[in-house]
Amino acid sequence: MAKACSTLSTWARSELMDDAFEVPAEWYDGTNALRHSGVLRWDGRGGLSLQASSSRVELNAADLRFGETRTDRTLYRSESVPDFRLFLPNDLPPGLASQLPGKSEYGAWVDKLGLGKAAAIFSAVSVAAVALFMTAPDWLGPRIPASWERNIGEAMVGDFGGRICHTPEGDAALAKLLGKVDPAREKVRAGIANMDMVNAIALPGGQVLLFDGLVQQAESPEELAGVLAHEVGHVRERHVMTALLRQFGLSVLLAGADSGLTNGAVGLASMGYSRDAEREADDYARARMAQSDISPLGAASFFERMAKEHGGEDNSSALLGWIASHPSSNERAKAYRDAAAGRTAYPPAITDDEFEALKTMCADDPDVEEFEFF
Amino acid sequence: MQGSQDMEGSDSAFVFEGNWKDFARIALPNLLLTIVTLGIYRFWATARERRYLWSRTRFVDEHLEWAGTGMELLLGFVMVILLFGLPYFGLSFVAQALIARGYEAIGAGLGAIALISIFYLGGVARFRALRYRLSRTRWRSIRGGSDSGGFLFGLSYMWKTMVGWLPLGLLIPWSMTSLWNERWSKMSFGPFAFEADAEAGGVFARFLLFYLAPFVMFVGMLIMGGMGMLAGYGIGGDNGRAIGGIVGIIGIVLFFYLGLGLIAVAFYAKFYREVVGATRWRSLHFSFEASTMDWVKLLIGDALLVVFTLGLGFVFLSYRHWKFFMTHLEAGGEILLDELTQSQTRTAKHGEGLLDAFDMGAI
Repeated sequence: MAKACSTLSTWARSELMDDAFEVPAEWYDGTNALRHSGVLRWDGRGGLSLQASSSRVELNAADLRFGETRTDRTLYRSESVPDFRLFLPNDLPPGLASQLPGKSEYGAWVDKLGLGKAAAIFSAVSVAAVALFMTAPDWLGPRIPASWERNIGEAMVGDFGGRICHTPEGDAALAKLLGKVDPAREKVRAGIANMDMVNAIALPGGQVLLFDGLVQQAESPEELAGVLAHEVGHVRERHVMTALLRQFGLSVLLAGADSGLTNGAVGLASMGYSRDAEREADDYARARMAQSDISPLGAASFFERMAKEHGGEDNSSALLGWIASHPSSNERAKAYRDAAAGRTAYPPAITDDEFEALKTMCADDPDVEEFEFF
Repeated sequence: MQGSQDMEGSDSAFVFEGNWKDFARIALPNLLLTIVTLGIYRFWATARERRYLWSRTRFVDEHLEWAGTGMELLLGFVMVILLFGLPYFGLSFVAQALIARGYEAIGAGLGAIALISIFYLGGVARFRALRYRLSRTRWRSIRGGSDSGGFLFGLSYMWKTMVGWLPLGLLIPWSMTSLWNERWSKMSFGPFAFEADAEAGGVFARFLLFYLAPFVMFVGMLIMGGMGMLAGYGIGGDNGRAIGGIVGIIGIVLFFYLGLGLIAVAFYAKFYREVVGATRWRSLHFSFEASTMDWVKLLIGDALLVVFTLGLGFVFLSYRHWKFFMTHLEAGGEILLDELTQSQTRTAKHGEGLLDAFDMGAI
């Protein structure tokens, strides 16, 4: 359909002249599309000039930039006149080539190092960066001040929008239970969330939530004490920040700016701790319960019931995040039972009335809001 | 000086002269460097690939030049993260925090604002990517560009796309052609603007195939399912029928995806013939002559290439697509070289970051 009509220049090597040299050249001055064909002359002292039948352009070698190599010629650009383009043959005499900018292939760093060396160095740096990134939650998490964590927790979930159940009797019972498993002077904040799910979570900022579904199916206050102590353990052992960082890192890796941190409560509920963290939290729970003389058998029967209902293996109930991310329920039940060492008589953690107050807390709170997920 | 390029000959105005072996020498080291830099080299890799593809493409009597750099692509990416990613992240965070506190409506409203801004910026990104590519494409040292930043086009993109979908999607061909015209009319090369007046009528018939599809599919599914059953019956017994049923279901699924894919390809083939054919620049007229069959061959070739190289072949896809594009692109008319002066449009110092972020093509 279309055809070129202009004559293509040839790149025949020109004659050497006495004290100056020249090679064929083509250039565009950048103001219009007209092609100039002529020669590039250089005098051996750094002076370059382009000469065509009707025009002459002085060039400064230091001003030229390498553009690209084509099949039969090399493209140079100019630093001071960005639209200027110069084409020279690929096989330049060494005297001229030494004055012109060198070839650039991959980019400055790689060109300087060579492909193999650059690839090796980049690999090493990348592996180190990935290792740092992967392990960051474990060493960085516990080092983030608790006050920061509290602020992050405040920003993410605040007071949960009035979905925490409150009655005077229930609050008192919960405070009593919490006092037994969290001896620190500044207590974590604990609450029962109006949500029908067998779950419990530790939120950033030292807030622990038992879901009403879990409270409803608990058969003794000791079961609740066990779960509460476990979540307090996550807070006290600084697991929350570690898990949060891990979640955040994952979301950065997956480039999902809308997942991770921004998932808020939903993300937190599904946020997993490592097996080690779970064991640490369990150890913490058993130590506190032993201190306060609370029976670990309640927690043991809770896990035995979970094992029966969910098959004992943690992979059998992916939906129940709290159960799923924890070590096998059977194994944990055994650990709690062993902690009792055959002893069966313990004073009750809280009275039956107090336990009943916890059970009816959400039903009796007229102001509590429903949990709704979008 | 000498004057004009007459293009009434037998050769195509656009000729691609690259070969895949040369390209491999670009693409494979690119892949290596991209992997060892955890993807950061990607921007330089893109620039290197384009430099090769452009420089091996001849328009009439001079090769194209890609003057973009990896650094400006990186800059575009960083800008998107700073100007768009962080605010979007913050907005979603606030929305979630509000929902957690019980302000569901406000939270959802903020979430919606975040989504609408993505929609808007998607339109802006399409515009700016084309502008960027034209401004970095040089022929005889002359480049293209646009005086518009694409922010108004973003608004057009939003309302035209929405109007296109409203009447059961029937106005989609109109919104697509109209947006093509609007976008290209704001672009220029050298001192002259492009003009585009593609009409939806030309592609509407093909578009109706999408509506016909459910009926064709239904019949096809019956046939495929029936054939599966019969085949199973031939094997015999309950087992045979079960196998036949499974074969039938696989057939149905294949038929569904292939059928819908084929309709989409048929539509886009027609769409590009129509819109490129309706695009002009000065006295040049363009045409794009790829038939549905050409597209199908291209896509099947892509799939085979990737599958049989265990995925490595994907680095050649950009080569194949550029070659396809240049092989089928034609131009005719006359260019007066001395009136083709340098473009006076402003150029952005950053690359097509937004489009990169949204993973879309420019044309």
